[in-house]
Amino acid sequence: MTVLTHAFTPGPIVASGPVKLTLMAPVARFSLRLRAANIPAVSMAIGVELPITVGERASNGTTEAICLGPDEWMVIAKSDNTDTLVSACADIYASATHSLTEVSAREITVRIEGDRAAELLTIGCPRDIDSIPVGGGCRTVVDGVTVVLWRDEEQSFRMDIWRSFALHVIDLLCRGCKELAAE
Amino acid sequence: MSSFRVSGRGRVDHTQPIQFTFDGKKIKGFKGDTVASALLANGIHLMGRSFKYHRPRGAVTAGSEEPNALVGTRRGPGRFEPNTRATVQEIWDGLQVNSQNRYPSLSFDIGAINDKAYMLFSAGFYYKTFMWPKSFWDKVYEPFIRAAAGLGVSPTEPDPDHYASRYLHTDVLIIGAGPAGLAAALSAARAGSRVTLVDENAEAGGSLLSEPSAQIEDMSAWDWVGKTVAELKELGVKLMTRTTAIGYYHQNMVGLCEKLTDHLASPDGETPRERMWRVRAKQVVLAQGALEKPLVFDGNDRPGVMLAGSAQTYLNRYGVRVGDKAVILTSHDSAWYAAFDLADAGTTIAAIVDTRAEPNADLVAEATKRGIRIMAGHTVTGTEGRLRVKSVRVNPVTGSSVGAPEVIGCDCLLMSGGWTPSLHLFSHTKGTLAWDEERQTFLPDHKAEECEIAGAGRGLWGIEAVLNDGAAMGAAAVKSLGKDIAPASYAVANDRPGTGVSHKELPTDLDAGKARAFVDYQNDVTAKDLRLAVREGMRSIEHVKRYTTNGMATDQGKMSNINGLNIASDALGVPQPKVGLTTFRPPYTPTTFGAFCGYHKGSHFEVTRKTPIDSWAEENGAVYEPVSLWRRAWYFPKDGEDMHAAVDRECRATRASVGIFDASTLGKIEVVGPDAVEFMNRMYTNPWTKLAPGRARYGLLLGDDGFIRDDGVIGRLADDRFHVTTTTGGAARVLNMMEDYFQTEWPDLDVWLTSTTEQWATIALNGPNARKVLEPFVEGQDMSDEAFPHMSVAECRVGGFPARLFRISFTGEVGFEVNVPAHAGRALWEMLWEEGQKYDICTYGTETMHVLRAEKGYIIVGQDTDGTVTPLDAGLSWAIGKKKPDFVGKRGLARPDLVAEGRKQLIGLLTEDGKTKLEEGAQIVLDPNQPKPMKMVGHVTSSYHSDAAGRPIAMALLEDGFNRMGETIYIPMADRVIKAEVTGTVFYDPEGARLKL
Repeated sequence: MTVLTHAFTPGPIVASGPVKLTLMAPVARFSLRLRAANIPAVSMAIGVELPITVGERASNGTTEAICLGPDEWMVIAKSDNTDTLVSACADIYASATHSLTEVSAREITVRIEGDRAAELLTIGCPRDIDSIPVGGGCRTVVDGVTVVLWRDEEQSFRMDIWRSFALHVIDLLCRGCKELAAE
Repeated sequence: MSSFRVSGRGRVDHTQPIQFTFDGKKIKGFKGDTVASALLANGIHLMGRSFKYHRPRGAVTAGSEEPNALVGTRRGPGRFEPNTRATVQEIWDGLQVNSQNRYPSLSFDIGAINDKAYMLFSAGFYYKTFMWPKSFWDKVYEPFIRAAAGLGVSPTEPDPDHYASRYLHTDVLIIGAGPAGLAAALSAARAGSRVTLVDENAEAGGSLLSEPSAQIEDMSAWDWVGKTVAELKELGVKLMTRTTAIGYYHQNMVGLCEKLTDHLASPDGETPRERMWRVRAKQVVLAQGALEKPLVFDGNDRPGVMLAGSAQTYLNRYGVRVGDKAVILTSHDSAWYAAFDLADAGTTIAAIVDTRAEPNADLVAEATKRGIRIMAGHTVTGTEGRLRVKSVRVNPVTGSSVGAPEVIGCDCLLMSGGWTPSLHLFSHTKGTLAWDEERQTFLPDHKAEECEIAGAGRGLWGIEAVLNDGAAMGAAAVKSLGKDIAPASYAVANDRPGTGVSHKELPTDLDAGKARAFVDYQNDVTAKDLRLAVREGMRSIEHVKRYTTNGMATDQGKMSNINGLNIASDALGVPQPKVGLTTFRPPYTPTTFGAFCGYHKGSHFEVTRKTPIDSWAEENGAVYEPVSLWRRAWYFPKDGEDMHAAVDRECRATRASVGIFDASTLGKIEVVGPDAVEFMNRMYTNPWTKLAPGRARYGLLLGDDGFIRDDGVIGRLADDRFHVTTTTGGAARVLNMMEDYFQTEWPDLDVWLTSTTEQWATIALNGPNARKVLEPFVEGQDMSDEAFPHMSVAECRVGGFPARLFRISFTGEVGFEVNVPAHAGRALWEMLWEEGQKYDICTYGTETMHVLRAEKGYIIVGQDTDGTVTPLDAGLSWAIGKKKPDFVGKRGLARPDLVAEGRKQLIGLLTEDGKTKLEEGAQIVLDPNQPKPMKMVGHVTSSYHSDAAGRPIAMALLEDGFNRMGETIYIPMADRVIKAEVTGTVFYDPEGARLKL
């Protein structure tokens, strides 16, 4: 197991066993807020059809969005795409008001994958993991800390955690990996 | 092997001998034995001493309801557990077991003197005896009582084990894997539901494990259990053994405690000792069965006196005969079968004493066939034997008259007062109970949760009845999930159905007032105590319970509640349902603190939030203080410096040249949208309309009530975008408050809020050389006083990173706060630190920050305010936009008591001698010679030694403080009275000259 520090250097955290943990490379992240009427205009601007059901996701390959609330999306973009995204939104702001706030550095992301990845999450997440479909996600709680969980495959998840809470949550996930390995 | 172990019998593994110690003595048992079954196999009944009277006690049950056989178990250093039930703890090689509450030894216990003086120790004894003098209670009586009475000793060493927890979602949770639970699980699983089946025992089967002669679907009961468990696993049922459902909470949330290592000789070290499961079930089936009731008579607590059903369990499940010569005492048919099983295994049954005049004829025939003496219509009025029962006093009962006694020799007395449905978890849900007159017990009535109750738990008796009920309830549970399944129908041969009657204490020919007839074994409560409570005026069962402590032991009255109720109801002369039942509360059985703590201990006790610059502080010797969940660098001592010296140096260096400070923990909220300025106008007291983009302003946030809630500097980045800062501890609260107003009061506003606290690392530079250190790194912003005056904000680049740069000051010196993306925080900090070496830059912590701001009279919300301070009280009326039509707290501020004269106001204090530093929190009086209690007129909120002022300074909230400038007030301390003068709150550079470049 790699000892992770607040420097958050991307790479493996738990590299073997029934579940692997990997700290993912930074990406550009934006909190996007808008009213329903402006969804089509903003979707066009960012090039992704914003999903309107909480927990649903959409992607165009370079930009990905998850609906976290009735007026809230998290938008993730490849870092070199950031300026395009920002200016595209700025261009339509006058006619389709919204809030696009960069939060790239606010959180880090851990990849959780392996045969028992979903089971690992049950050590800290009160939500029914089975109820999150592949290709969906949710904002939820792990060990009392708010996170955003993306289910990419049956047994592969991404977890976005605010920086200062991340080591606490990752510490729990590491303990869980050990626990599962011992079973 | 002892003569009590029946060769080849039971579910223990006779090929796997295990050795453990009891009070240092080596004891042999088999794999699968509990401590109690192994001791009984060795002829040992004496396992403990009672709570109050130190009476010798043995196991009275074979399960988790055991009140007597509580022992201490040890597995090396730190792994000691008191009050473990010997009837539950499985044995392993090397297990150390010790008896409790005895000195010097279990068989000779000095504390037993209490027993001789039992007439003194009746109910309410403590309240009556130790009332006077009152002051003696804490120091004399209570410690004495606690030492004399009691259970095991609390462990003193840290627990080296770890504990785990999980969440589980399931369609149907079935609690209890006896016949009802197994059948329910089959129904639910065959219907295709996610099913979880839990049982507190080491294996599934429940009562079937004690009834091997029953034939279910032409299979022996044990084979049926084996086949059923295999099928359930095949169907994907999660079967959890050694798992106790400890509590049933709202909306079908059930807590389970799973024991993982207590039964293992050598746990691997990685496996947690216990795991708490928080289960959310769509449907719950309670299949907890029933608990056998003792009978209440003189001497019913002697070692060797045991429940008949438990004796049957010891025989059939563990292969242990609990004695060579047994007397059976019963009011229920079930004990007859225990007698038959024991007789067939070689125990002499000296007599079956049935309180009923005419027991079931079939049973009588069976007994007669075995040559067992039957004493129908009899009672037991006493037992003899010091450490083990050796004889029983039996009398005939005719009507209300008790005839002459006959003494019958025995080495065990097996009793049954019938069976009480286990309603504990149902009771947790606040489901209501109904009294069943025929069965003389409470049964589940109105349900408060999505649950079904199956089998003996709702008063059914007999394996066939219970199996069929379980199957039906399992089907009922999935039916409400939209799944239809026809419940299986079970036929059982050699079933043992039966009925019984219920009793208060048994009649006696002796003085009932002297009978040691125990109702609650664990708390040593007798029938006499209950009647005394009623005589002394207790009417409600809740009062009787508290006066006598009946049902208040760690077993929560699993065995005593119904007997207690019967006796209280008889004493009161009202029927049982009118007397009522006390409330069961979680946990069902005693649960370790470790299981509740789970992972939250040691370094994982609680989240410790750290800033991106925290690691630099750690490498540079910072001392930390906790601020909400954050740990913040408090000060940076150099060799040999104490806090005072370090803080003085940090203050001096900052005012002399430049100091650098990690302000990353400040809360940050981005307010964006066309209505952002309107939103700000409504939230904060200050006017924002005229604040130009690129400018910053101090903002004050009130509650509805007009009291200060939070403050911070707010920069306007663009017409429709504000960068709001909050206090460190207030970040989440302020965002919630804003969202609350936005969503409920002003949903029409086009504005959105985003927490950016952790997006930015914030570095504060303060001091006359602050600009010089910073300027070389700034791109895209003219740093001159003209282009970037005090209270400015700019988006630019600093050190190559995108930045939000503020020129603001919380020290009174020229100050800047640089926000860069969090991951860049430490890199920029190091650049500035390096550059700052030219100017003797000094890093400072929160303590110096506090001193520097206090020297300028800047408040800290939560330190100088306490939720009752208005802007006027704090001298901040200038921050109120008086022309604004409204803002949160505006109407609150107009309340008469908030505009009244003489409120507590924030003022400065200088001690008269110029040397004494006041204590924060110290109370202030106007006249130190007034009689006590003195009238306190305020308290010190902030107090520091000030290097800049050359003396200690303080701030205080003082009644009518603004009108007391120059007056002397007094601060009485434990050893002296300190005089101080009331001043303004600005102790340094009142003109603000140092803010200029």
